[in-house]
Amino acid sequence: MFTSILKEHKGFGKQIFLLAKNELVKTYKGAVIGPLWAAVKPAFTVFVYWFAFSVGIKALKAVKVHLNGMEHAAFSFDFFTFMFVGIIPWFFIQDSIVQGAKTLRTNRQFITKVKFPVSTILTYTGLSRLFVHLFLCVILYGYIIFYRVSNGNPPFDWYDLQFFFYCPLLFFFFLALSWSTAPMAAFSKDFESLIVSVMSGVFWLSGIMYDSYSFTGPLKWAMLINPINFFANGYRNTFLYHRGFWVYKTELVVFLAELVVVTLLGIFNYNRLRKKLPDVL
Amino acid sequence: MDNKPIITFKDVSKTYILYKNDQARFKALFFKPRNPKTNKALNKVSFEIYRGESVGIVGDNGAGKSTLLKMITGVAFPDEGDIIVDGKVAALLELTAGFSLEMTGRENIYLKGYILGLEDEYIKEIEEKIIEFAELGDYIDQPVRTYSSGMKMRLGFAINVNIEPDVLVVDEALAVGDASFKKKCKEKIKDIISAGTTVLYVSHSADSVKEICPRSIYLRKGTVIFDGPTEETLKVYHDYKESQKKAKKK
Repeated sequence: MFTSILKEHKGFGKQIFLLAKNELVKTYKGAVIGPLWAAVKPAFTVFVYWFAFSVGIKALKAVKVHLNGMEHAAFSFDFFTFMFVGIIPWFFIQDSIVQGAKTLRTNRQFITKVKFPVSTILTYTGLSRLFVHLFLCVILYGYIIFYRVSNGNPPFDWYDLQFFFYCPLLFFFFLALSWSTAPMAAFSKDFESLIVSVMSGVFWLSGIMYDSYSFTGPLKWAMLINPINFFANGYRNTFLYHRGFWVYKTELVVFLAELVVVTLLGIFNYNRLRKKLPDVL
Repeated sequence: MDNKPIITFKDVSKTYILYKNDQARFKALFFKPRNPKTNKALNKVSFEIYRGESVGIVGDNGAGKSTLLKMITGVAFPDEGDIIVDGKVAALLELTAGFSLEMTGRENIYLKGYILGLEDEYIKEIEEKIIEFAELGDYIDQPVRTYSSGMKMRLGFAINVNIEPDVLVVDEALAVGDASFKKKCKEKIKDIISAGTTVLYVSHSADSVKEICPRSIYLRKGTVIFDGPTEETLKVYHDYKESQKKAKKK
């Protein structure tokens, strides 16, 4: 049971890359600026949020962050920089959850007409989203270097390398989540709509626009169990806080526990529903 | 003839659950439905097919023929029982389906090959044969999205017959484009049969089954009614139809 998904991927690696590439082609072909659209939409979103909160409401100019497990006083960032670093993983997360749930339905020709390693559909569509994410991360890193230099700091930092810890985890966590959500959404359109509706609200419940460490009491725990915060804070650890991923142990342990649960649930749900998929799609 | 069967069905059953509405379907995600309406597509079907045999499958609409074929090709799965298919299966069923539309024809040949578990070298070998057979010319390096439906069918057919399958599944109602290509396809299928490939042939027409298959299986409402020499199978099938006609008249 545990190896069924692995088995489907065996010997299919090259095809997964080819199919992922074609997903991108499908999305961006025919547009004059083509792949640049992948950056235009997020850029506009970032601009809108910055405008609404810093210029419009005039409420947020700077964000103060007090970090657990670190000695020095609270950091202070301008709102734009703080939000920008957190929202980049969010774009990937949102796409992964919403698109990931729809993927099997939109690729049904591979399920109902031919024999196909179905779980690889989730991998190659996820991979195509990861390519877009990496592209955005390059832009982000460019901005971060500019930000550091303009504040009189050195452009590079050893903690930047933590990106290679958080990014693969980000990809895998939401892939494993889609092992559950995609077959369920294929089964029931209501489940798909449920996910889409919930996701538009989840943004405001996560620490993208604000600092999820700033709570006490039950809210603090509510923030800790939200895996989206783990990644938003993780990217900020990497590019802003100069903090190792191992420093705040509670957050790391809670996330790793969730990762295990999501993976096991994913394997369980995928195996439970895989053989019924051709009948319902 | 080999002693080892290439296809084995052992007590294979398949039940489709007919959900009353979308709510019931949503509920079924979390709880097992209680006394749902069901449609038993296959009921304890058992048979063995040996290497090199050509077997016809006859029966009315809804007898379970498509379900049976889908299981052999590995698209659908049984609820109960075991299916063993010992070899590469090529299906001439829905030829235009299962392509990745943004990939070129050539890339789709490789995709199909990988799904069937073929090695790069082998695919390279048969690649030219497929392109030639499909008569696609320079279009082979264009995305399949740009193909006409006839071109897609030709490519689908060419891939399936050129991978040297161990089992070939053919639906008689197969459409493959213009008359000359149709003729070419029929000849190719005949070649494959005479080369000793196991063939499963689904048809409504008694004549074409007789022509190709010495043995036939008659399915009625998901159950194997008769399995034996085609002459006898068809006789049972016709007798039943006659008796039904009479019953209707009364």
